[in-house]
Amino acid sequence: MNAGARAEGGARSFIVRVLRQDRPGSEAYWESHSVVHEPDMNVISVLQRIAEQARTVEGKRVAPVVWECNCLEEVCGACTMIINGRVRQACTALVDRLLEERPGAIELRPMTKFPVLRDLLVDRTRIFAALHKVKAWVPVDSYHHMGPGPRRSQDEQQMAYHYSKCMSCGCCLEACPQFLKIELTRGRDESAEAFRARCFAAYDRSFMGAHAIAQVELFNQNPIGKMSARERLDALTSEGGIQNCGNAQNCVKVCPKDIPLTRAIALAGRHATLHALRNWFDR
Amino acid sequence: MNASAASVFGQNEFVLRRWHSLTGLLPIGAFLCFHLATNASILDGPELFQRRVGQIHSLGATTLVPLEWAFIFLPILFHGVIGLIIVSRGQRNVHLYPYATNWRYTLQRWSGVVAFLFIIWHVLHMHGWVHLPWWTEHVAAPLGGARFDPENVLTAATAIQASPLVFAVYLVGVLACVYHFTHGLWTMGITWGVWTSPRSQRTANILILGFGCIVALMGLGALIGMQVQDTKAGSAQSAPAAPLEEGR
Amino acid sequence: MAKKRVLVVGGGLAGLAASMKLAELDADVSLMSLTRVKRSHSACAQGGINSCNDLTRQLGDSEWRHLDDTLYGGDFLQHQPPVKELVYWAPQIIDLMDRLGVTFNRTPEGFRDQRRFGGTLFKRTAFAGATTGQQLLYALDEQVRRWQASGHVTKYESWDFLGLVQDSSGRCRGCVAQDLVTMEIRAIPADAVIIASGGCGGIFGRSTNSVACTGSAVSRVFQAGARYANAEFVQVHPTAIPGADKLRLISESARGEGGRVWVPREPQDARPPGAIPEKERLYFLEERYPKYGNLVPRDIATREIFNVCVKEGLSVDRGRMCVYLDVSHLPREMLDAKLAGILEIYEKFQGVDPRAAAMRIFPAVHYSMGGLWCDYERIAEGGLNLCSPRTQQTNLPGLFAIGECDYQYHGANRLGANSLVACIFSGLSVAGGVISYVNSLPNGLAAEQSAALFAAERRRHEARYREILARADSGPNPYRVQAELGELMTRVATVVRHNGELEQAYGRVRELEEEARRCAPSDRGEWANQNVVFVRALQDMFPLARTILKGALARDECRGAHYKPEFEPLGVDAADPAERRRQAEEWCDQFEQNNARWLKTTVASLDRDGEPQLAYEEVDTSLIPPRPRLYGVAGGDLIEQAFAERQARRAAGRKP
Repeated sequence: MNAGARAEGGARSFIVRVLRQDRPGSEAYWESHSVVHEPDMNVISVLQRIAEQARTVEGKRVAPVVWECNCLEEVCGACTMIINGRVRQACTALVDRLLEERPGAIELRPMTKFPVLRDLLVDRTRIFAALHKVKAWVPVDSYHHMGPGPRRSQDEQQMAYHYSKCMSCGCCLEACPQFLKIELTRGRDESAEAFRARCFAAYDRSFMGAHAIAQVELFNQNPIGKMSARERLDALTSEGGIQNCGNAQNCVKVCPKDIPLTRAIALAGRHATLHALRNWFDR
Repeated sequence: MNASAASVFGQNEFVLRRWHSLTGLLPIGAFLCFHLATNASILDGPELFQRRVGQIHSLGATTLVPLEWAFIFLPILFHGVIGLIIVSRGQRNVHLYPYATNWRYTLQRWSGVVAFLFIIWHVLHMHGWVHLPWWTEHVAAPLGGARFDPENVLTAATAIQASPLVFAVYLVGVLACVYHFTHGLWTMGITWGVWTSPRSQRTANILILGFGCIVALMGLGALIGMQVQDTKAGSAQSAPAAPLEEGR
Repeated sequence: MAKKRVLVVGGGLAGLAASMKLAELDADVSLMSLTRVKRSHSACAQGGINSCNDLTRQLGDSEWRHLDDTLYGGDFLQHQPPVKELVYWAPQIIDLMDRLGVTFNRTPEGFRDQRRFGGTLFKRTAFAGATTGQQLLYALDEQVRRWQASGHVTKYESWDFLGLVQDSSGRCRGCVAQDLVTMEIRAIPADAVIIASGGCGGIFGRSTNSVACTGSAVSRVFQAGARYANAEFVQVHPTAIPGADKLRLISESARGEGGRVWVPREPQDARPPGAIPEKERLYFLEERYPKYGNLVPRDIATREIFNVCVKEGLSVDRGRMCVYLDVSHLPREMLDAKLAGILEIYEKFQGVDPRAAAMRIFPAVHYSMGGLWCDYERIAEGGLNLCSPRTQQTNLPGLFAIGECDYQYHGANRLGANSLVACIFSGLSVAGGVISYVNSLPNGLAAEQSAALFAAERRRHEARYREILARADSGPNPYRVQAELGELMTRVATVVRHNGELEQAYGRVRELEEEARRCAPSDRGEWANQNVVFVRALQDMFPLARTILKGALARDECRGAHYKPEFEPLGVDAADPAERRRQAEEWCDQFEQNNARWLKTTVASLDRDGEPQLAYEEVDTSLIPPRPRLYGVAGGDLIEQAFAERQARRAAGRKP
């Protein structure tokens, strides 16, 4: 079945250049693979073919390129990488469009703001550390039956829905000129737990990024979340908080889910200011 | 920056950044507008300009010097130093994400650095940094500074006409200041949460662009006004319009 | 006393719900997942979550009717007590999710909005935009993060569950797992293990499932002795976008709003769809089901699309099977107002605007109704005792199963928007039973077990990992083996099943299994080696694949998603009324005989040779007696009438 389709398509093939790296801290290198064109291909299927072939364009046998993916529908956020220079999800990056954009070859590289684990696989723990920091949850009393949640207007729901579509993919962070890479290496005698704690401490002190600011807005607008708004605002105005935003507004342009991140930042800015003033005068 | 300074900065990051933002408008931005407006008055003739300067200096050194330091020099130093830290902590990427706002972000960094260096030089060039006779004579003047004499505003024009390079530096410096101030005004509206929706941010941007053009025109007016003054003709004799109580 | 330690494998809706509830009950939870839990497959669910609600109640709905719809939709193959418990809990579950901040759509007055879904007359389905599953998942993810922050939950994200650790009495005492980055293999002690690893779409190659849905964790406990039930019931969704990597759903609402399904009468007509004149198009659903048109029930739409491509050779493309789903004749404003979300998916992934040209779609494997066999404790009123340690427990003591990978709630066919509620319900309800189980453990907690037990299991899995790494280069390519397995399974074991094909396929699957045992990884490294992990998961697909085939082969009837044309009862087609009546009675006789033979849960277990052995278990139908499902059957009204009369006669006979 596949062979037929390929023959019909004239067995056109194209080159995929991948920036590979074997381990954290090791040298990165470029490698080229030739992939036969099929209809409706996206970058995921390209990487699947590369894994199947496990051979470079020169015919050298290599290990398959390592990358992360799951849903392939752009709702899980896993397959984020830099494709032809722009950060996006591999599942929605269609080969035909990419080849129109830049004929001849497709270029894949890992995100640059996160430590590379291997090839296109990066460690995005910092995204989730930020969610810890801003307490991105509704602090309910218990999971017993306590009746329905509070009534909410359609407008509130719409706004909350926008923010809560965030899939923690990291595009907003990759494109943000204020968000810098942090890569620590585990000490020789350091336990995994101690290393993890050290990473979290470093992450906590550095810019949390647009996604976390939007989550503060999401939970501080929630009728139950509101009750602990001050805790989130404390986190928002601590080191690494909203003050690091430089208003380049790249976040909102690269967000695959069209989350109104800049609106969230402006609103959070207002709330942070009022919070700081209140703290000052109530001291 | 060493580790302890970094941690002091870090612990007070929010407050420092808010002060940084605020000082950009008040007093620095306000002073910039006032300064350029005053200087642009040279277009109405050196006499008027001289009168304006005279009014300022009529306050007297005991008042003027603390005012200068409290509301001009120290805020600018604070704003500039924090600004340099901010610039050093960003990683510009306009080559990868060439969006308009990203260009403006990048320009804001560059214009800030340019403006800060320019202001430091400009204050030396015209004012000489501090007014101690020994300093003016042995340090500022040999460095080409302290060229402005408030009793004779044409000294400013003379200084600017000294070479096309000086004019060019002033041109770039003034425009950098104006850009930095006006774009800073826009980001300030976001930072403090005045304009929050994309739509209101766009509207604010248009209004601020208009305002920025006016301020830029004042700056250009002042510069061109200086450049076209006939400094040889009237020279020192071009009659001070208001009597000065005190020269320096 | 040491804290109770519970291991949850899988971080979708079910696993997260269980984790947060167990944490609330003060257990020490280890949550293991192949991916970051926020990236789990539950995020893909679009439509909504079902429960009887205040609005539908006033229109005559009740939990009982939800129960009835669910059982009828599932062709009565479910044990009824767990389903009863589920539907009575459903309204409370929606309330809870609402409190947790799920952004359910609202009415102008601020109440939760509801929509209607397949298989019911009531607007029972609460929804959050077009991504209800994602929103539910995130709410639970946030709660679990909260428990993680307070130290109750430890996450093992990007870890592969390799197998159980069982003590000499067969109790589960933990597991062995591998870190997918460092490749470290570690034994993790636990007092109870909950499998919540979702479906097994990977067996069918490309499906609507996510990449992580390989079924490997389920297969590994199956191989350790757990039973697997109703494997042959696999739901196929009629309309998915065929992709080179995955098949993505196009919701039923596209047809609900007037979308038409057709193929060119000329096989593989090369013209663009818009250029093919009306009379050269075959609107096969409208033509064959004039009453329902394009809105025939899911299973029928699926079968017809499948037949038109496979049997009649009328697929739109030559290289692959697909038909047109056309909305291009509908006004753009209407499409944008009502279907924007769905059409954008097509546009995003196919690069074609469906408002301008017909969409190409084909049925795709979607959901596994079958799963690990698990238990329940019925109470007199017909519901469950949720504090019983039997709740959701498999036949292996200390091993529980919840979510898509348990078999209890959907019978032979799942109703749309019932899966989300079943996942959360089973996750929440398992917690009480797990705690009771751990409290009743006769010989100490896992922490007190001998280290040798864990070390031995760890070594066993380490050896398996080393064996794969060290295989000869000449072995078959694992990706091709999976592709062939997937194509084969999709061809013979999905929409239409024939005994001959199933038998043949079973033989071929055995051969492929042998090949998979020799598959050589192209990556021999010991750092983030996805290749070895894939080879191992591939090998573990086969026991389940064979169980699906064997179950399907054995079940000589049509029920829900399982359709064998040879065993389809004839409808009522005579003209003479008396003859029609006789045919209807005969149909009812046949139906009853068939139920006596086949209204049974298929329970598979692997024997010593790894061969699935099937046994059949009576289904508890004590709450609502089974009745025929008559969608599209000729003379359905008459059969329904005849059957109702029989029921009434029986009821009358029982009374005196």
